[in-house]
Amino acid sequence: MILEIEGIEKSFGPVEVLKGVSLSVDAAQCYGLVGDNGAGKSTVLKILSGVHAPDSGEIRLEDRPVKFQREIDARLAGVEMIFQDLALCEDLDAAANIFLGRERRRGRSRWFSFLDHARMHKEAEEVLESLGSVMPTDRQVQTLSGGERQLVAVARALEFQPKLLLMDEPTAALSVDKVAVLMDLIERLKERGVAVILVSHRFTDLIQVCDNIGVLLHGQIVDEFPVAGQSVDDLTTRMVRQMSGIGMDG
Amino acid sequence: MNADSAPGTGGIYAPLAAAGQALTRWGKRTVHDVGAGLLIALVIEIAVFWILSPNFFTFSNWTVGIGRGMVVIGLMAIGETIVIISGGFDLSVGSVSAAGAITAAALSNSGVPFPVAILGALALGLAIGTFNGAVTGYGRINPLITTLGTLSIVRGFAHLLTGGREQIIDDRSYLNMGTGTTLGLPNIVWILLACFAVLGFIIPRYRFGRYMYAIGSNDRASRLAGVRVNRWRLVFFGVSGMMAGLAGVVTSFRLGTAAGNFNFGSELAVITAVILGGASLQGGRGRLLGTFLGLVFIQILRNGLVLLSIRSFWQQIAIGSSLIAAVLYDEWRRTKLSRG
Repeated sequence: MILEIEGIEKSFGPVEVLKGVSLSVDAAQCYGLVGDNGAGKSTVLKILSGVHAPDSGEIRLEDRPVKFQREIDARLAGVEMIFQDLALCEDLDAAANIFLGRERRRGRSRWFSFLDHARMHKEAEEVLESLGSVMPTDRQVQTLSGGERQLVAVARALEFQPKLLLMDEPTAALSVDKVAVLMDLIERLKERGVAVILVSHRFTDLIQVCDNIGVLLHGQIVDEFPVAGQSVDDLTTRMVRQMSGIGMDG
Repeated sequence: MNADSAPGTGGIYAPLAAAGQALTRWGKRTVHDVGAGLLIALVIEIAVFWILSPNFFTFSNWTVGIGRGMVVIGLMAIGETIVIISGGFDLSVGSVSAAGAITAAALSNSGVPFPVAILGALALGLAIGTFNGAVTGYGRINPLITTLGTLSIVRGFAHLLTGGREQIIDDRSYLNMGTGTTLGLPNIVWILLACFAVLGFIIPRYRFGRYMYAIGSNDRASRLAGVRVNRWRLVFFGVSGMMAGLAGVVTSFRLGTAAGNFNFGSELAVITAVILGGASLQGGRGRLLGTFLGLVFIQILRNGLVLLSIRSFWQQIAIGSSLIAAVLYDEWRRTKLSRG
């Protein structure tokens, strides 16, 4: 297993957001997380990406327990997160965004080595190309379209060869044809052996790319099931019923 | 990128064409960042004063009248540009410059060699700037409030420590620094140009510059990317404080004294130059070159109006009007461009 989490709890003040969440994702698999607003989906992702620390519970990455104090710890451990708003710097160009915080530099000196612009642009071009996109890497992100920005965010995550990629509502800002491109992208990531956790409101997306789906309700996973071998209608019904807390018997 | 694929530019002209393209790209980017409004205004301004005043386009007017006149504001504006691009704001520069001048004067009069006195002023500026950065970053206080506070505190201490009196500086070698010229340019103009050159070299080449734009553009995204945002804020505000300290030293060079009221209210001219130069108060946008041109614009305006014997109150009116006009023009152009 790439990732296993067990009994994760998290409260913000008096509000118990997560009440013992457990799940696991294997390499080259996509785990879909659904749930109503406030069910705790984003909190799960934020804990896995080091934004928040859990109150209790264990996170194991490749069978080793890990504790993330801050975002960079998760990144160094091989967990990348694509935020819902993409978290890009609008005034920087695509290459600068892809390498932000991990700039390529010439020379070894910690303080006095120059930024290696040529190398960053070249590598940015390569990683974008591997995602099937040709885009000038010296354009400011604010001039890019929604789909291109999404690609920059994905490229940024991929440049550092993550083991696990977390995506929070990646299709929210995309047009229909761009969603198809993104789904294709997730398939390709799986082919590379990357594990993906996808949070989405769109059932069709989840059914299309996920291997397993977990339904989060009031901070707990109330249902978990494989996608293979079930009809789209059955899966959709199951998700809707579990999300609204009706359960399968009601 | 396509330099060698362009038709008809093969052979020996290829490097020339590539250089030309690079230059064109740089020019376009500069006009985009600085804003065409300022460049047009600068050309008009120079033309008008050239025509109206026979003394305007003389060597000594450019080196002394315009060059020397912009040094103090210019040194502060360099630091202010860095802070504003990084999403901050520094109102304390005028007060810090006074504190720097007093420190340098006190050290010099206590008998230390003048370079040490100057370093003392820079260190004090650095310390106050770093304090601004710490309160703004770690204390999560709006930089406007933080530096409004230090503006008042530092100015108060400056008056308190001098007892409201001017400190006369005795060291001749200290004062000669400020009054001398090298290669036809006043020494203090060289100091300003050197500071622009050093930071102009650093910003595009080091993480310092990259993070300055990144943090100003989106500090949350920068933090998520692993950039130590609050630490870098210490650096940006620290540099601004240090530049203000240097500005104070230069003021004392020129006057031969140091006083608590040095550069009172100068922060407004400093911020005007930076905004005229195209920096955005939202952060993330601006260029050091723009600030330089903004400074040149303001100083030529002041100088030209003096040459034409127009009452000095008109300077303030003209500078304020050109600030609003330049920003309005660029805003209009930007919305027009983004609509296609």
